[in-house]
Amino acid sequence: MELLLQTLLNGLLMSGVYALVATGLALSLGVVGIVNFAHGEFLMMGAFLSYLFFALQGLDPLFSLGLAFLAAFLVGGLVYQGLIRPVLPAPELNQMLLTFGLSILLQNLALLLFGADTRVVAPSYQAATLTLGPFFLGAVPLGAFMLSLGLLFLLQVFLTRSRLGLAMRAVAQNRLAPGLLGIEADQVYLLAFGLAAALAGVAGVMLSVILYASPTVGFIFTLKSFAIVALAGLGNLKGVVPAALVLALAEALVSTYLPGGGGLVEAVFFLVLFLALVGRAWRSP
Amino acid sequence: MRELSHLPFLSFFLLLFALLPFLPLGIWGAFLLDVGFFIQLFTAMALSWDLVARTGQLSLAHGAFFGLGAYGAGLLAPHVGTLPALVFGAFVAGAGALLLGSVTLRLHGLYFAIASLAFSEVLRTLALKLAFTGGPIGLPVPPPFGGVWPLAAYYLSFGVLLLATALSHWAEWSPFRLAQAATRQSEAVARVLGVRVVRVKLWSLLLGSLVAGLSGGVYGMKTLFLSPYDAFSLGRAVEALVIPIFGGLYSTLGPLVGGVVLVGLEQALRLWIKEGYLVVYGAILILVILFLPRGLVGLLGRRRG
Repeated sequence: MELLLQTLLNGLLMSGVYALVATGLALSLGVVGIVNFAHGEFLMMGAFLSYLFFALQGLDPLFSLGLAFLAAFLVGGLVYQGLIRPVLPAPELNQMLLTFGLSILLQNLALLLFGADTRVVAPSYQAATLTLGPFFLGAVPLGAFMLSLGLLFLLQVFLTRSRLGLAMRAVAQNRLAPGLLGIEADQVYLLAFGLAAALAGVAGVMLSVILYASPTVGFIFTLKSFAIVALAGLGNLKGVVPAALVLALAEALVSTYLPGGGGLVEAVFFLVLFLALVGRAWRSP
Repeated sequence: MRELSHLPFLSFFLLLFALLPFLPLGIWGAFLLDVGFFIQLFTAMALSWDLVARTGQLSLAHGAFFGLGAYGAGLLAPHVGTLPALVFGAFVAGAGALLLGSVTLRLHGLYFAIASLAFSEVLRTLALKLAFTGGPIGLPVPPPFGGVWPLAAYYLSFGVLLLATALSHWAEWSPFRLAQAATRQSEAVARVLGVRVVRVKLWSLLLGSLVAGLSGGVYGMKTLFLSPYDAFSLGRAVEALVIPIFGGLYSTLGPLVGGVVLVGLEQALRLWIKEGYLVVYGAILILVILFLPRGLVGLLGRRRG
């Protein structure tokens, strides 16, 4: 019983970061309407940024969080201006090929620069744990969980209270009408894409401590985020958090209870994706 | 008509590949035969990817079909001989495609793209974990026909290319092309006009996966060794899609031209860049989509008017 609860607790803590990354993906899909296969690469850049600052300057990853947010926002904006905007009128196949090409390019560039090794950022508090009755909570996963929820809450406030957030939701709902009302759709797209990248960048810094930085770490999270977004329904931001919880709990259960589950954890997201799609195919005519 | 101007090109390419072992190449002969082998195999992969793309679907699972074919043929070849093993490998790949396609092809195109990528990643994980594949250690494969004929692997790959070209050419110049193009341009309109959209997409995927599976099987018999990282590599899917995009989408000639240029280039570049050579493919993919969306063949076609 205690093992089960501890497993569920671990899954719960991981779900925050999952939700953060997947929300970014849902934002670029829902608002800009682009299937971004390179979403995880913003995460990978955040992770390496945190690693480089820590290894070269001894900078605490807590400071890297803000830097990664800004850097990823900037890179995301540049990617939108230079690559995404020109293909927005093109067929969807071309859009997907472009973001896929970007993902392949960035992954392998990182491979050439840093090699395939996994690198962990290990500040003094990395292994600190809190005890809660019979259960253990890692300080870093707990902090990442709280921070993720905080950021998602801020995003929610932004989308429902501010004029810019309302414009973003308007553009997501209808391509034409907001333009007639004087909303510059292009600038809203730019902001949404940059914000999506920034969320992934922050998540990357957290993962450099919880997990590791490596050229392929972002790619794994692209796939997991797609599974979460497919489960939540495309462009449905509210559904992302529960869907992330489902995936994180399922992974935690598999890694604890399945013999030799360590490697098969990486297959759980596919099961979630597959079942979500089967359910969707049944409901569609 | 356009179709008449393409056939001589296609025949020329195929004739060149058929005769390559008999040309006086001197000391470069062995190296060029190896390059030719890979060009044929990966061009066949590219043609099979293009077949799926003609319905507007982005398949990122061609690496998985390749791997399924390679492992299916590799596991069976010691027991039943070369050709039955290759056919079996192709059927395994086809079964995987049907499983993937029957769930995802009824939905919006992006679901298929995502699911196909996830499919190929998961199959690699499984190939690493399952007992009968040899796991991370790998799987030795016997050479074709007991190794009595040194050119066997080369001509098997020629056979796969011939099949892929014939299939692609048939699909390009038969009513099937119209069904594919209608599906690609607007599924809703195609449906109204009486095209059975899901069936067209599923057939295209099945045919494409069979060719990819055959390519995988022949690949294993050439390298004589399979590992999950190699056979199920995402790089296979990347090659299979960059070649047609570079050469010219939705045609038979485009992937052929693209294959000769890009695979030839890759075999040369591999001497310098070992890990991470996919950087080149990523860059080509982005540049071509942005600046040359109709590919090399489109460039020539525009000048001709």
